[in-house]
Amino acid sequence: MPGPHGPGMHPRLMTIRLLTCVLTLACAAPAVAQESAASIPRLPNGRPDLQGIWQVRNRAAYDLEDHVARDGMPAGRSVVEGGAIPYQPWALARKQERFANRATADPLAQCFMPGVPRIMYMEFPFQIFQTPDHVAMLFEWQQVYRLIYTNGSKPNEGLEFWMGDSRGRWEGDTLVVEVTNHNDRTWLDGSGNFHSNALRVTERYVMRDRDTIEYSATLEDPKVFTRPWTIRMPLVRHTDMPRLLEYQCRAEMEEANGDFEREPRTWYPGPSAAPPSRRLAASRPASARASAPPGVDLNGFYQADHGGANWGFEPHKELFTPGGRGVLVDPPKMPYQPWAVEEKVSRNLPERGYDDPTAHCFVGGVPRAIYVPSPLYIMQTPRYVVILHERMAWRIIPLDGRARLPDTMRLWMGDSLGWWEDQTLVVETTNLNGKTWLNEVGDVLSYAATVIERFTPIDAKTVRYEATVDDPVVYTRPWTIALPLRREPGELLEVACLEDNQDLQHLKDVRDAARKEKGAGR
Amino acid sequence: MVRGAGGLVALGLLTALTEAHHSFSAEFDIEKPIKLVGTITEMRWSNPHAWIYIDVKDDAGMVVNWALEMQGANALVRRGWRPADVPIGTLVTVEGWAARSGKPAANTNTITLPDGRRLFAGSPTGEGPPK
Repeated sequence: MPGPHGPGMHPRLMTIRLLTCVLTLACAAPAVAQESAASIPRLPNGRPDLQGIWQVRNRAAYDLEDHVARDGMPAGRSVVEGGAIPYQPWALARKQERFANRATADPLAQCFMPGVPRIMYMEFPFQIFQTPDHVAMLFEWQQVYRLIYTNGSKPNEGLEFWMGDSRGRWEGDTLVVEVTNHNDRTWLDGSGNFHSNALRVTERYVMRDRDTIEYSATLEDPKVFTRPWTIRMPLVRHTDMPRLLEYQCRAEMEEANGDFEREPRTWYPGPSAAPPSRRLAASRPASARASAPPGVDLNGFYQADHGGANWGFEPHKELFTPGGRGVLVDPPKMPYQPWAVEEKVSRNLPERGYDDPTAHCFVGGVPRAIYVPSPLYIMQTPRYVVILHERMAWRIIPLDGRARLPDTMRLWMGDSLGWWEDQTLVVETTNLNGKTWLNEVGDVLSYAATVIERFTPIDAKTVRYEATVDDPVVYTRPWTIALPLRREPGELLEVACLEDNQDLQHLKDVRDAARKEKGAGR
Repeated sequence: MVRGAGGLVALGLLTALTEAHHSFSAEFDIEKPIKLVGTITEMRWSNPHAWIYIDVKDDAGMVVNWALEMQGANALVRRGWRPADVPIGTLVTVEGWAARSGKPAANTNTITLPDGRRLFAGSPTGEGPPK
């Protein structure tokens, strides 16, 4: 009997054919697309709902063009329409040179931001969040994100970014994104394919069915290519992955090579150690609600009125730790245990400036990422609140009452679960890895911390932020800081901290000199 | 044209602190204030700190290239600055604090242009980002 996929096909053959189709990227069967166009998920405003966790299933990250297997690189077929990238002759020679040096020359060897489109086809999942004005893409890899404006705004002139500037518009059911303002330091894949800062990328996102986005990107760069060219591939929904995790590429590298050293008292000791008992109750109350109260909309660009918190929570005023009004509201002094006082004093020695993870450009952690002096963007959807930090980190806060990660799963930004209590968004974070410092004067946080944050809208321009930290390894009792977040017109820029970090070597010089002196004194 | 920086004067405060991501006392020495006069050879429009490089002639007539740390490019951008506003070859006077490492590097407090305008003088209190 003729079925939808051809006459008399055996069901098992059909399965094999579907599987093959997924593996070979040859899935764009028009008949299937027509069948399912009406059944794709949509937002209340009628736009296709792209939200979910997505990933490619191809080898484009290694090489966009046809390639056989190489050392450390699986084989793959070209995703370039027409097969080959139309390089100008000089550029082809440059590409070949980069290919030969790729092990060290690839910016990803340093964990630098991959740029667009490369980030879209890396072998890591990413999650899309969507409001009428924005589409955000949050990538597991190094906590990179893209915030795509669909509000008719224009790109920043005269600035270059590792991840470009993305402005989107809807053409029917197609999301079209123009990506401009690229720098000339990113590559297109792991084989030395490259572009200049004249690159312009036009992406198209078309939902073929509930679990498939047809992704294409047309690249124009008159300095490097002879004509525009297009890559095309499906993004496939992860249906069995409830959340993204973290891959802090640079931190993992520096831990492995010894550039970032373990702190045994604050880092997660592993499941063998008896976990200290938590004093704050696991606190999603019966009154907790998953949906925001009517009229409460946190969406927007914020700057923390941080009160100098990144240089101390108590009032302070010194030249190298400037103006702090004090944000500690309870108790009056940080309730340290004796060992942790010593640790904090030690962290203020010049040779320990190197040990602050943010000096390495690692993510700030919770709650520090809120009050470092860089802006943030809050995105609120019915199921999530998402915080994008200008210093390239993100936090996804699900509101659906899901279970926590197991105790052994420890993350730089922790495991944050949220709910609404009256007008307040409450966020409880655990599963921290204990690798972060609370600020530049070395206030101490360990893996045992529970952080409860409260975001309470006061008026259209102000959200009161409060964080209570309970860390039985470090403190004798919980303590609380509070500061306002100011909502302003504004856009996030990009902090390429790692890519441009020049301080770390200076700090390392100071540390190494001190170690040498100590060694000589013995 | 330069926009947004006129009239802002830092009073004994560190410009770069407003975007800081590392300990200043660890990297720079408050006991070593310095004043340098030189021409811009490079400007790195980076975050969380921008860096400006200037050629400075020492007493023996030798030219030394100094690396000078400023507040972050994003703070500069938000105050209206663009890379084209700070061309290579501009003569500047810089006041700041020298690096502990002894290398020709410093944290800048003020950078003054030939016409007297001060660049990159930062938020004077650390209370919120520069406007």
